Amino acid sequence: MKIRSSVIGLICLLIVASGALAQNKDENISPQRKQAIDSLALEKVRDLSKYISIIGNKSTPWSESQRVIERAAELFMENSEIGVSALSRPDVAYYKVREYFDRLMKLNYDRVTIDWYKIQYVSDLERQPDGTYVGVITIYQRFQGFDKEKGLIYEDTTKKDITVYVKRKETQIGGRLIGFWDVLLGDIRVKETSK
Amino acid sequence: MTGIVQKIRSLKWHHFALILLIAGVVIGSDGCKTTGKMSKKERKAQIELAKKQLTEIINGTSTRPLESQEKTVNDIDNKHYKDSELDKMIVEARQVLKKAFAERDKLRQEKIDAARAQLLDMLLNKDDKSADELSAELAKIKAMNLGDKEIDGLIAKVEEKIAGMRNKKDVPLKTKLENSFQGIADASKAGNSNQVMSLTKSTLQLFSAEDATVLIIISREGSIVDYDKPTNIKRYLEFVRDQKASRNAVDAYELDGSGKIKSLDLIKK
Repeated sequence: MKIRSSVIGLICLLIVASGALAQNKDENISPQRKQAIDSLALEKVRDLSKYISIIGNKSTPWSESQRVIERAAELFMENSEIGVSALSRPDVAYYKVREYFDRLMKLNYDRVTIDWYKIQYVSDLERQPDGTYVGVITIYQRFQGFDKEKGLIYEDTTKKDITVYVKRKETQIGGRLIGFWDVLLGDIRVKETSK
Repeated sequence: MTGIVQKIRSLKWHHFALILLIAGVVIGSDGCKTTGKMSKKERKAQIELAKKQLTEIINGTSTRPLESQEKTVNDIDNKHYKDSELDKMIVEARQVLKKAFAERDKLRQEKIDAARAQLLDMLLNKDDKSADELSAELAKIKAMNLGDKEIDGLIAKVEEKIAGMRNKKDVPLKTKLENSFQGIADASKAGNSNQVMSLTKSTLQLFSAEDATVLIIISREGSIVDYDKPTNIKRYLEFVRDQKASRNAVDAYELDGSGKIKSLDLIKK
């Protein structure tokens, strides 16, 4: 009887220990893995910059813009907002992601160039109690609007902060258990706008 | 008198026969010369024949090559028949031939231009045709026998390309895929949407379906493998096109029963 209870106790201990180890595996990821996740999140922001450039490009066919808007929107968490500023007004307008992209596509210029640069973390990815890693990436956006006859008619540089959320998820694909990092972007807030 | 008789008797009769024969030949040959009545008849016949030949050329019913027709006209002209009608026909035939030569040259040039364009397309192989398809197209061009140095040079280059393609048949699938991804990225960067489309189409043909799984490894540490969010090949190729960059190498792939890729694992370069 004593032996049986000891065996049951040992099994329980092993289960608890393995659970704790599994949790630990996610909590204490190695610096190499952390670096890979950091890079992945930065990459998603770079991907977004390319998408924005395609959507804003007046020569992009409408159907192509729609496809790219779809891809760009998939990068964001639901209900995320993107801030829009202008040199002519002090306030910042915030739009839902899809509305922002629709407005971007219809901007009243003959040609638009949008470049993102100095894309870097201002706040490193930190693990939250629910296991999600949250960080802030800052970017500088150079916007130029051109008129067919007058040439460059508007330009500004905006510093924007993007909140990023990274969470490890698992899925079964073809009988394989795949552990992947789901990177989602949150709000894009305007920090400063200058000429 | 006796002297004369003796002289006659002294003649050797076989000499006499020989002289007679020579005289006969000379007289006979004179009779074949174009003289008087015979020459006129023959001239008339020759003029008629010449007119017939020229009529065929003028009406375009002659089936002989243009060069041969031109020679006929020159031969007739060189005979100087001094027949006004014939002379007019010679002028007319020359004009017809000049026009025919120009038409032939124009057609040949058009064929050369078309062949040149086709050969250049084949060299670029934008439609990603197989070596056999290119070879069949090339055979048609070669059969035209255009005899143009530039075309011959291009034919040689296409032949070289086809040979290269046949040698590359054994290129590993991994390399083929990576080349395709890089090709799409480069073509997109260069703004060559036709090439992007063509490469995308040919790459998709390597897969069992457009929604074949694509996994991207971002980190691998022992048995722990971290992936990016799973995607499929159609979306991945669109991604490469949009980003104008191929950032991943092929890590592994799984084939279905027909040798098509049903899942692909990529890894960050």
